[in-house]
This record gives sequence, C-alpha cells and structure tokens, in this order.
Amino acid sequence: MKLRNFFKALPLILGSALFAVSCEYEPTQPTLRFQIPDGFPEPWYDNPDNRITELGFELGRDLFYENALSSDSLQNCASCHAQEHSFADQNKAFSRGVRGMEGMRNSPALFNLAWSPTFMWDGGIVHMDVMPLAPITDTMEMNLPMTEAVQRIQASPLYQAKFKRAFNTDSITSRDIFLALSQFMVMMVSDDSKYDRYMNGSAQLSESESSGLEIFRTHCAGCHTEPLFTDYSFARNGIDSVYEDLGRGRITLNAEDDGKFKVPSLRNVALTYPYMHDGRFFTLREVIDHYSDEVKSSGSDTRIPQPLRLSEGQKQDLEDFLNALTDHTFISDPALADPR
Amino acid sequence: MKRFTYFASALAATLLFTTSCETEDPVTNDPPSGTGTLVVDFDYVWAMAGAPFEMGTELYHPMTGDTLTYTTFKHYISNITLIKNDNTTWAAEESYHLLDFSDPSSTSIHLKDVPAGAYTGIQITFGVDSARNVSGAQTGALDPANGMFWSWNTGYIMIKAEGSSPQSGNGAFSYHLGGFSGENNCISVRSFNFPNGDAIQVDNNEQLTVNMAANPARLFHSYGSVANGAMMHMPSGEAATMAADFNSWVQLTDAF
Repeated sequence: MKLRNFFKALPLILGSALFAVSCEYEPTQPTLRFQIPDGFPEPWYDNPDNRITELGFELGRDLFYENALSSDSLQNCASCHAQEHSFADQNKAFSRGVRGMEGMRNSPALFNLAWSPTFMWDGGIVHMDVMPLAPITDTMEMNLPMTEAVQRIQASPLYQAKFKRAFNTDSITSRDIFLALSQFMVMMVSDDSKYDRYMNGSAQLSESESSGLEIFRTHCAGCHTEPLFTDYSFARNGIDSVYEDLGRGRITLNAEDDGKFKVPSLRNVALTYPYMHDGRFFTLREVIDHYSDEVKSSGSDTRIPQPLRLSEGQKQDLEDFLNALTDHTFISDPALADPR
Repeated sequence: MKRFTYFASALAATLLFTTSCETEDPVTNDPPSGTGTLVVDFDYVWAMAGAPFEMGTELYHPMTGDTLTYTTFKHYISNITLIKNDNTTWAAEESYHLLDFSDPSSTSIHLKDVPAGAYTGIQITFGVDSARNVSGAQTGALDPANGMFWSWNTGYIMIKAEGSSPQSGNGAFSYHLGGFSGENNCISVRSFNFPNGDAIQVDNNEQLTVNMAANPARLFHSYGSVANGAMMHMPSGEAATMAADFNSWVQLTDAF
C-alpha cells in the first residue's frame, strides 16, 4: 500500500518540508501522498480544503479509534469496523451500539471510500466529510450528541495540541473532527489482493480462480464493476419481493427505489461475512447459491441474469476467485491500525 | 439614516451632474465611500390577528382549530443581499443564519461592511441554499452540531417546529422541514422593496435596519391540523408545502 511507501519516504519529505520552512511564513506540513492505484478511476472525494497531511491523517486515525466519541466511552469506530475484517464488523449481522441495541443493517466494510459518491446502504449520505456524524450521534450506535463530542475532544490537552499542529486551530469544531476522519478514511486504500497482483503481472491465478474470474466477468461484473468491484448503483438483488426495509426508497421517496440497496464492493468479500444489507447469508456459498438459483424474479434488477444455474464446479471456481480479492496487505497495514 | 424619495435623489444627482460639468471638480462625482452596517430584525407574530408568537403558551390556530404550544421554533435564512438603487447588489459574505426564537440574539442579524450607497430593497433566501446542503462539513450557523442537519439523509433541517397539541395523536408535534431539490424543495428566494419605494442612503459608519415579520401559524395554512400527521422528519412534498406557506408570508415591515 502507498502508506508504507510514504513512511519510507518520510525523512526525505520531512527534510524537504523543513528546508521549505525558511521561506514560508508557517512551517509546511509534510503532505501525505494519496496515490490513485493503477487502473483505478479518479476518486470522487475532492476537498481542496482538506489537503491530506501526515498529522491530519494520524489525528483522523486517533479519532477513528477514540472511545470518547461514544456516550459511554466504551466504543469507537473500530468496534463495528475492524481492520481484520476489512473494517466490517466481527461477523455479526447487526452491530450493537452503546446501549446494547442492535442496528437495522449490516455494518459495511470500509476501504476505497474516496471513490464512493454516497455512503450507507441507502446512499443517504452524499459527502464523506459528514459521514461520521451518523454513527457518532445515532442513538442506536455511539449515541453522542455532536456538541458533546466536540466538547470532549476540545477538553483534551492532547487533542488540543494535535489539532493545533494539524489544523492550526485553537478552537476545535465539528468540521475539524470530520476533516481529520476523512483524511484517515481517504487513505484506506485496498489495492493489493491476489487479483491486483494478477492484473499487474506479478502473480498468477490458479486454474479455478481463473475460471471463476471468467464466470464473474460474465455474470457479476454488470454491477460489481472492476476495478472497484462496484458501480455504486442501487439495485434490488432478488432476496425479497416484499420490502420490509425500503432501502434507497426511504431516501428518494420513489417507490421504484423501494428495496434497492447500494451494490457493495466485492473486494475483501471473504472477510466481511455475513452478507447482504441484513446479513442474512453467512457464507459466500450461500450468496452464490442465491444468485445462481434463488433470485426472486419479481422486481429484481434486470442486470441479474436468471436463472444462472451454475454447476457445483462453477460455484467453487467463483468462490475461489472471490477469495482472491482478499487484500492481506490492507488488513495488516500498521498505518491503519489502532496506534495505541 | 437618511430617507430620500426617488425624486429627491434624482434632483440631487442632477445638481451634482450640473456642478461637475461647470466646476470640473472631480471630488463631487466620487461614489459614497466607507461602509455601514445592516441589521435584519425578525419579529414573530401568530396568525392573522398579528398577536405575538410565544413559546410555552397555548396558541389557537383560527384556520385549523388546533391548540398549539410551541417549545422550539428555529429556521434558517441565507445569502442576505441588498439591492441598490442602480439595481446592482451587495451580497453579504458567508451569510448563513440560524434564527432560534428562544435566543433573541439570533433573530437580530448584524452584518458589517455594507458599502455606502442608496439601497431600495433586500433579498433573502429562506432555508439553506442547495449547494451548502451537499458541500460537506460546515461551521458556524451551519455546523451539524447545531442539530439542524440530518445525519442519515444529507441535508439541513430548514425549519424546526416542535411542541404539544391536544389535536395530535400522541400529544406532541415535531416538524423538521428540509429538502433542497425537486418537489421536496423547502428553499424560497424572496425580494422585498423598502416601504414606499424609498431608497435608503447608508453612509460610512451608519446603520440600515430592516424589520421583518414571520408567522409560524402559516406552517398549517395548507397542511391543516396536526391531526393530519404531527411528525415530519424527512423531506417530502408535504414538508415543502409547509415551508413554502411559512416562507411566502414573511413580510418586510419597516426599513430605516
């Protein structure tokens, strides 16, 4: 991942920054290099007011792992977004918030967020910088009013010092907290799976994985488009024909969107079970069985070919390919881990 | 604060013009210099009789027959712009204001750096312009920590009215009105002329005061009784109607 490269180059970058100080009014902070992986499109997130710096990134990481952002000070973002699961929850269909209440939908994995035009299963949030407001303040999740979150951070001498250094502010606002979190989230880039190495010529897929890739490209890539493995559209995936959870329809108020949910990326999919918006399938095979044999025809997305009727061998090949989308570098990257 | 009629202004302009031609004195033709201040004061009335709007008091709605006791009334205005007598405009910078009836200081908006000149009217956006709804994290009046931003469905609550009413099924009402596009749009941009078509001269260090009146009873003008639904917490056509009825009543009562 690029972060490691960055830290390798850190002395050089720091040196250049220090050198530059003499002719700058304020010391220039080393800028973290956000690199677009080969073959990836331009990212969606583009906030010129939030230049990614080493200090801002580290501050965002501190906040991501900060228990003080939950009302009982026992939960942080990683409580439901664990790095070892590609920042999805620990294999729970529904996560529990501070009051022990279960949420309504499966906690999504977090990576390559800079390319996501919307957030949440229903796409209700349209800007990364305000995304954390929902989990921090939601009574079912971290349950902390944002004013109190700001007060708690502002009351910490350590955070005061860090915000002073990263954002040159003495008066921390919710915006500063959000911008720091975005800096961390933008850098959560996953691009080093076996599939990626195959694509850049540094690894070979097995015969089964290779066959699985062909099946994938024929039947799945219409929605789970490479290289991000999603087109960020909203679709009915044929698991229901009656929609208890309106999904996208709750946001657009358009009945045609009822029961639609955002197409999730399939990168790291082997780590993010259970699956679907409500976590109803526990294994990849159950998901494959669904798309192969069980799609409810009424109202489901026309891009879903049906009935697929994959053979047992084809299902195994597809599963093997999906396993090749796991990015072990990403889930073990110390730069993204809890710094404490 | 000086109030000129158009006639007087025209007369003065003519005199100045004449003067400049005869004396070739460049100073007299200079535009007025310096800056003044603008104060926009919002007052709140109740229903047609223009009774004062109050919190914690039973207010009778003459159209719906409801009895309403408000505990919260907040709304946003943005992009305050003054219109000059030459039809050019001056727009206040970063002009976003959360008016909270419970906080009198918030309903009196003070703006600096108004260029000296003669002004004939004011334009106000009721609500938060659509761009700022989707521009990420904001500060000041637009800080999401103010509790006027939907965390799960990006956008500002433009008008928040909460309280109790015996006509509501559960005894309470809570209208969070927002939405910035299409048929759910709760934003209105309105222009108001100063009374009598006057142009008001603002000179250096002077203050222009504009008094506005708003009427929270108007929320129910088309919507009707709270019995029709006392909770609104997301954009909808009904929310847009309530907001439009509120916004369209707002009046400029005086300017000086």
